[in-house]
Amino acid sequence: MGGTIISNRIRQLRFENGEMTQQQLGQRIGVTRQTLNAIELGKYSPSLEAAFRIAEVFGVPLEQVFQYNSAKKPE
Amino acid sequence: MSFREKSAWITLIAMLMASALFALHAPRLSHPGPWDFHALLACIAAFVVIETVVFLVLRLRYPQDARTPIDERERLINLKATRLAARVYVIGSFLAVLTLHHGASAVMIGYFVVLAFVIAEIVKFSARIIYYRRGV
Repeated sequence: MGGTIISNRIRQLRFENGEMTQQQLGQRIGVTRQTLNAIELGKYSPSLEAAFRIAEVFGVPLEQVFQYNSAKKPE
Repeated sequence: MSFREKSAWITLIAMLMASALFALHAPRLSHPGPWDFHALLACIAAFVVIETVVFLVLRLRYPQDARTPIDERERLINLKATRLAARVYVIGSFLAVLTLHHGASAVMIGYFVVLAFVIAEIVKFSARIIYYRRGV
């Protein structure tokens, strides 16, 4: 429970894409604003499908959105 | 706070209130009679009324949130909380049956099974709130 070993750049990408809100991005990928907030804060690792949808919205490859920190141990 | 987290809070509080109401009556249960069953029904009715009224108010206040379909994180939270509650219910029911060996009557065992169910539900909604707040 809690933090994950997957970090992400969603917040930065949202601001680089016209200061998109969490609500707007959430609606486009089919999750609630609270779930998107949990993903941004690393409290929840999204499904592969949701991760691909996020990358698709920003028009970037998946690895530019999510990074796997193998040095960090899972909790 | 999401609509479903608010709903979990409402159900938990309504359940605790109804349980507290029945707990006031619990000392009489050493010699259960028809009145005890009526008290149980009254507490269930109180729970349904409290939850329905508060839930309707919430729906009217946040209509858009209420219409939002459940997403993958919420589905996972529900599954994990339900799994935990199921274990509590199975253990509670098993313990309820064991009271047979301590001279408990069939009616008392019935009340213990109901108690196990209520505790399991309280665990379920508490777990949901914890998962919503701490992450899953």
